[in-house]
Amino acid sequence: MPNSDENTGQHPIPNGLAERLPPWMTGFSLGSWVIFIIGAVSALILFIPRDHIDADMSFWIFSREHEPMYAPIVEDWNATHDTTIKMSMLGMAGLEQRMFNGFRGGLPTADIIEAEYRHAGRAFAGPIDAIGFLDLTDRIKAEGLDESIISTSFTPWTTRGHIFGLPHDVHPVLLAYRADIIEQYGIDVSTIETWDDFAEVFRPIMADNNGDGKPDHYPLAFWPWQDDKVELLLYQGGTGLFDANGQPNINTPENARVLATMVSWCVGPDRIAYDVRDFEDNGNKLKREGLTAAYFTPDWMCGVWKNQFPDMAGKLQIIPLPAFEPGGRRASVWGGTMTGIPKTCENPDEAWEFVKHIYLSPDLAEQLWHAGDIVSPVKAMWDNPMYDEPDEYFRGQRKGRLYIDHIPQVPPRYPSPYNLAARRSVRDAALKLLEYAQDNDVFDKESLIPRAEKVLDEAQRHIKRLVDRNVFLKEEN
Amino acid sequence: MARASVAEQRAAWILLSPFVLAAVVFFLYPLVESARLAMTQSFGANATRPVGMSNFSSVLTDPIFWIATQNTVILTAASLLVVLPMSLGLALLLNRPNLKCRALYRLVIFMPQMVGLVFAGFIATVFFAKDTGFVNQLLTQIPGVNTLLHNLFGFDVQFPWLDRHVLLTVFIINLWLWVGFNMVYFLAALQSVDKSLVEAATIDGAGPFQRFKNVTLPAIKSVTAFVFLLAFIGSMQLFELPYIMLNGDPPQNRGVTIVWYLYQQGFEIDDLGMASAVGWILGIVLIGAAFVQFASARHESREARL
Amino acid sequence: MNSRTRRIAAAWPHLILLPLSIVMITPIIWLIAAALKSQTDFFEYLFFPTTENGWMIDFSRLTTQHITNLFGTAGMGRALANSCFLASTVAVLGSFCAAAGGYALARLRFKWAPFVTALVLGLLIIPPPLLLAPTYKLMFNLGLLDSYGAIIFPMIAPAFGVFLFRQATLQSVPRELIEAARVDGMGELTIFMNVALPLLRPMIGAFMIIMFLATWNNFIAPQVFLHSTDKMPLAVAVSRLRGVYYQDYGLQMAAALVSIAPPLLLFLLLQRDFVSGLTSGAVKG
Repeated sequence: MPNSDENTGQHPIPNGLAERLPPWMTGFSLGSWVIFIIGAVSALILFIPRDHIDADMSFWIFSREHEPMYAPIVEDWNATHDTTIKMSMLGMAGLEQRMFNGFRGGLPTADIIEAEYRHAGRAFAGPIDAIGFLDLTDRIKAEGLDESIISTSFTPWTTRGHIFGLPHDVHPVLLAYRADIIEQYGIDVSTIETWDDFAEVFRPIMADNNGDGKPDHYPLAFWPWQDDKVELLLYQGGTGLFDANGQPNINTPENARVLATMVSWCVGPDRIAYDVRDFEDNGNKLKREGLTAAYFTPDWMCGVWKNQFPDMAGKLQIIPLPAFEPGGRRASVWGGTMTGIPKTCENPDEAWEFVKHIYLSPDLAEQLWHAGDIVSPVKAMWDNPMYDEPDEYFRGQRKGRLYIDHIPQVPPRYPSPYNLAARRSVRDAALKLLEYAQDNDVFDKESLIPRAEKVLDEAQRHIKRLVDRNVFLKEEN
Repeated sequence: MARASVAEQRAAWILLSPFVLAAVVFFLYPLVESARLAMTQSFGANATRPVGMSNFSSVLTDPIFWIATQNTVILTAASLLVVLPMSLGLALLLNRPNLKCRALYRLVIFMPQMVGLVFAGFIATVFFAKDTGFVNQLLTQIPGVNTLLHNLFGFDVQFPWLDRHVLLTVFIINLWLWVGFNMVYFLAALQSVDKSLVEAATIDGAGPFQRFKNVTLPAIKSVTAFVFLLAFIGSMQLFELPYIMLNGDPPQNRGVTIVWYLYQQGFEIDDLGMASAVGWILGIVLIGAAFVQFASARHESREARL
Repeated sequence: MNSRTRRIAAAWPHLILLPLSIVMITPIIWLIAAALKSQTDFFEYLFFPTTENGWMIDFSRLTTQHITNLFGTAGMGRALANSCFLASTVAVLGSFCAAAGGYALARLRFKWAPFVTALVLGLLIIPPPLLLAPTYKLMFNLGLLDSYGAIIFPMIAPAFGVFLFRQATLQSVPRELIEAARVDGMGELTIFMNVALPLLRPMIGAFMIIMFLATWNNFIAPQVFLHSTDKMPLAVAVSRLRGVYYQDYGLQMAAALVSIAPPLLLFLLLQRDFVSGLTSGAVKG
């Protein structure tokens, strides 16, 4: 192929310039020069020295909501202490990536890290002495914190008897419902004890009064694609995901019953559930329209309602979760945050003081309650009258007390490095069961149980494989 | 020919040293290391324990690995059997003499390459979203399509691109991305076909299809093989596109590919050893395929010389 | 053939090409609209918000708020600089090393040439995912994790590039020219710089663009090897924009738009270089 400039569409260098350039520079076409310039400019931008706020300790958080709450506390600390702290909000993915890169790849991590339930379990894989966080068990016991804080808050951060984080919350899950819709149908929610009761009591709202061929309202906002909700239901009515020894116990009869029940809510001509997605525009629109009447509501979700739906004040009220069996649990748990101190921290005592300050101070507890509706895990705080204040948004209901009264019913969760995989597996099992039900027109929960057992068996086998393969966990035992 | 001078040898080494150094450090060494790693179980980069061949048996008995393999093979087949012929067809169309706006068409069809795999995946998450995505909204706004979907899928379920029909969606985006790339290669090949051969065939009375089959196709064989190999290797290693489209969370493992499985093992479960084992299994397949291609190419050229 | 059949014969490809082109460009138009629509309009209109009669674009409803946020609160400016820096550096260094290597293999005679050729071919065959895990360990050992070097150094050895430049040299740099230069008394390296490089211009241009694009779109290497937020390039930074409690679609799509703008512009400027260089390696002239 002839290689003249015409054929290859070269941008010819203007004649005068070509003579003055050293020969080798003519080897670069316009495109190359553009790339050179981009590189030079960006290098200049990147390597300009910037002011570094030098603090003695760094503190990573992931939650945008926590940032404004913690900022004044950090400022206050810096003003009154010798060791200063710099807080950085990294976002969930960023925090997870950096935390594990730090622990696994030896890269620098912060001195204090606030981590979430979702990925904390991954930190507890491997040999105990390889766990990136400092073992806080002795400090916690020495100060009696294991007594003063509710035990279910500690379990997700405890492995093989060692505690690695101080808990931030307890997050009981109850049920919020649209009182304004319910009263139009003359429904009395106080008779509800089980999920079956719930379906019966809320049935009238499904009538098709506007004649569009579809139910006017659906009782429950739920769909099995969201692993948070599948998990919380399994913990409420079943055996959850892992036992206290970190072994998966997914394929239990209780779990099968719960799975079958939740899928039965979503299929058939009488289905009571509709896919209204949290934190999404479409879901928010449907919430405002009142398409669904009841919502799984952990304490922090109340804060979300107030923040994102100020226009819905006075419409919602809260009742305990309907139980799966008469006398069963009326509450569950969703989410959870802890703060830990990586082993690389040079000043663990100071860090520990800060962690306690931020989590145990009554000031923060009050702020958490007023700004985020979050209940403190510290038992002593529960007598605080602020929890008995009537909440205007919820029609004057004293929901604080309601949440606190149900804390004893919050199920414990045990960590595992395979927590994420397990959550995904049970979510997939639920989806498989759902598709089976839809494809084969099987609608009631009793008939779905055999299939539920089968899909949970698969999930169990998958997680068990992962756990069994892990030689590090075996070394401990 | 004069003997190679010392200056020549020295220059050669100076010119080659960056490449050789980087190649040895960042390719050869990791290659060897990966064989060793594949026989260990690791917890991050630091802690390792030897476990012999158990990683391989774990991979080969993991149903998710086989789902990943199935997905990858389906996508590769679709790429080779649909995308390539389509690219060739488009190239043939663009190759027609006197086609107006050829450059414009070429630009538009090739442009997706500039968007890139990563950002295409990112856009796809919103584009193909179930209730609010552009595609579904478009479908619901076209009359007739709505009723068809209503009858097939039930009234309030919009087409679940990213929940149930993941492979299809990945395939569509792959097609969008690569059809222009392959087309450009085919076009260049077609433009270098010796016109006199084609004319001779026409004079001999060959129709357009026969001209294509007997003259054009053989003439572009080497480019076809090259494009074929690139597409094969690229599809077998597909990872970033579905990973980004599904935000790292494959619903029921739909859309998982072999390299995604590798990433999960190495960087979500933190076992670099397992990841290396998966890498080797994939590597053996791909290296085998490359050898087959080289061997058949050499065989062909040997035959052509006879 | 009369003129009417001739016109049909000329027109029918357009029946396929035109609809196809429209379909292929739709996502990009949608992206531009998505980046400029306000939050409330995002799901109301398919593309751009329209005026009353539904046909004209209602420009008053478009907003650049997302782009402002992008560089303000979301801090994408830094990610953009990172992408630019990494992509250009790799393009320049990679092309230079590939050109040097390809030239040496093509025109210089030296011992061990077969070994280097084998190295190049071997590298071509190794699938990159195989090396991901051990490279992570290597970077850890070399202390290169979370440094730009982790991305740049491996790209200095693009085997594909060496191969392309070898072909290009064989085609464009005649042996006689080199001999003549030697007779003139030029040193070997000077010959490379002053004689070969100018002749390799098309391939250099094309290859620099290829490397630029490859690095710009590289997601997995920065995701795995980089750590600090201020080193992250666009590919990763954009994926981190997905919120947990709130999805700002306008922001995300504006980020995507900003991310594809530079490569697109680069391509529009330099199409011919790119395409010719890309294909010259594969098509034997």
